Amino acid sequence: MLRHSFALRVAGLAAALVVVVCALGFGWGYMRVEGALLTQLDAAIASDAQDLLSDYQTEGPGGLVAGVVDATRRHGALVMLQTAQGTTIAGNIAGAPLGLRGFDTVHVPDGRDLRALGAGLPNGLSLIVAADMAPIRRSAAALTSVLPLAGVVAALAALVLGFVVARRLELRLRAVSDAASAVIAGDLTRRLPESGTGDEFDRLSGTINAVLARVESLVEGLQATTTSIAHDLRSPLFRLRQALESALARPREGEADTQTLEASLVELDSVISTFSALLRIARAEAGLRGAGFMAVDVSDLVGRVCETYAAVAEECGQSLVAEIAPGLTLRADPDLLRQMLANLIENALTHGGAAVAVRVALRQMGEGGVVLIVTDNGPGIPTAEHGRVLQRFHRLDGSRNTPGTGLGLALVAAVAKLHAARLELGDASTGLRVTVTFLATTTAG
Amino acid sequence: MRVLVIEDDTTTADYIAKGLHELGHVVDIARTGRDGLFLALNETFDAIIADRMLPGPDGLSILRALRASGLRTPVLIVTAMGEVEARVDGLDAGADDYLAKPFAFSELRARLDAMTRRGTETSAGEPATLKIGDLELNLLRRSVTRAGQKIELLPTELRLLEFMMRHPGQVLTRTMLLERVWDFNFDPTTNVVDVHVSRLRRKLDAAGLPMIRTLRGAGYMLSADAAA
Repeated sequence: MLRHSFALRVAGLAAALVVVVCALGFGWGYMRVEGALLTQLDAAIASDAQDLLSDYQTEGPGGLVAGVVDATRRHGALVMLQTAQGTTIAGNIAGAPLGLRGFDTVHVPDGRDLRALGAGLPNGLSLIVAADMAPIRRSAAALTSVLPLAGVVAALAALVLGFVVARRLELRLRAVSDAASAVIAGDLTRRLPESGTGDEFDRLSGTINAVLARVESLVEGLQATTTSIAHDLRSPLFRLRQALESALARPREGEADTQTLEASLVELDSVISTFSALLRIARAEAGLRGAGFMAVDVSDLVGRVCETYAAVAEECGQSLVAEIAPGLTLRADPDLLRQMLANLIENALTHGGAAVAVRVALRQMGEGGVVLIVTDNGPGIPTAEHGRVLQRFHRLDGSRNTPGTGLGLALVAAVAKLHAARLELGDASTGLRVTVTFLATTTAG
Repeated sequence: MRVLVIEDDTTTADYIAKGLHELGHVVDIARTGRDGLFLALNETFDAIIADRMLPGPDGLSILRALRASGLRTPVLIVTAMGEVEARVDGLDAGADDYLAKPFAFSELRARLDAMTRRGTETSAGEPATLKIGDLELNLLRRSVTRAGQKIELLPTELRLLEFMMRHPGQVLTRTMLLERVWDFNFDPTTNVVDVHVSRLRRKLDAAGLPMIRTLRGAGYMLSADAAA
């Protein structure tokens, strides 16, 4: 259980840490208190000894003996006057050490530890003044004994607090893990709960939710592509099959067979080009940004494409005019950008009518943004259809007989999305106006 | 010309081999990457056509191995992966050209020709002037003259002419022109290439004999005298 619960592990560790800290604190505190009390005791002993020595100086040995005897009558006072051979003259310290000079801690036969100060007198006598150490040890213990108790309480508190905090962590992590399991199980719409406090967990949940949303849209895109392929490639393939089957059924005839085969090749080529277009859209929609992204001189790119199509338009009695601001750059996939513009222009030329006039404008927009506008004066697209023409294979009723796969604007939409650009279809005074706005974030630095 | 075809799909390999035979080339076929690499390293070929996805080492690995061993034989990578990145990978690995399946045989043939001739052309060094018959293109001044007469061309037309003059007498398909001259890696629905070729042709022919020939179903060819 301990190995598998983060909560218990954290709580246990916190409690152990508190106990160790308290134990160290107790030891250190005891030593400091005992040291301080000992210093006080030493001062008191020295003062008593000083009194007795001044008795000796003013009143001679007799005065000293009287002082010692007097002192032993005071409660708790320990004094001893003895000869160099250890014979007691006066005093009440049994087993006092011989020849003690200065402070020392001595152990006397009755089991007590004494703090003693020894002084030598001129005629070979020794004076010892002492005090029992038991009281200061008791005081030190009493003063610091609160620490182990506080330690135990703090350890318990740490145990509880650690458990509660870690438990909450564990619960929130479990929510993440549950949601991830649900997604693995196939529920792509599942998202992590967010508490709304904006803490680390909310930020993590937000990021994971963004990942899940991305996965969902990719899978949807894949499904849409698959559906489109199934739906719209089937009909031309079916036509092809019919043509070949009926050609096979009739007797061999050179000219007619050649015609059938040539027509089949044309049909097949259109299937292949539809297929490539679908794959390119799928790739752009999958949004593998960065793969083909680079700093692009978009003014130059748009200029070249416009020059190319101006000639095409002119040949058919149509016209294309370009107004391009020089020196604009974008971080973009140049290949897809070229195709996007080509599709927009071809769309205008193909559906705009015999004498359509197309205008392409490229301008700076705000701080580092770039806007591309393609306008024509053709029949335009009804506002109600604006959303639908961006979908795959959607064609206006009137355009069924003009060339095209019905994928041109779907690719434009996918490329715009890949570049985080805003795509708007609008009505020009007459005809269609397509605006693609590349935001400043996508521009090259 | 002796050509090595490394392709695991029998139908495709036979299709390529048959077409090349008809053009008078000698063709060796390898079915796996191992055999292909072995043949390429031990025999001499004028060109190699390798599928990108092969059992054993794949097309790009073979290509890298060949280039690492100093072999400069032109290599055309053929692949079902037509994406631009895949193409860039191929060219980075040292391929001379890259062709996406499915392709028309005329496309393969044109690319093979361009590739093998380019091999001999680049070794001669980069001339400052391209010259075909009485047509001259000065690469530094970006100016064109025919029989001494200056011809004004638009930038796109100039790029188109430069590419054609670098591959004289070779069939250049629409796809090749779109890729190399326009950087269009897609099929436009309008006749972009035809329009520009015919405009270029009008400007060139105003000053002399026709030089650009249209080959139906294949592409275009520039030569000193298209009628010949």
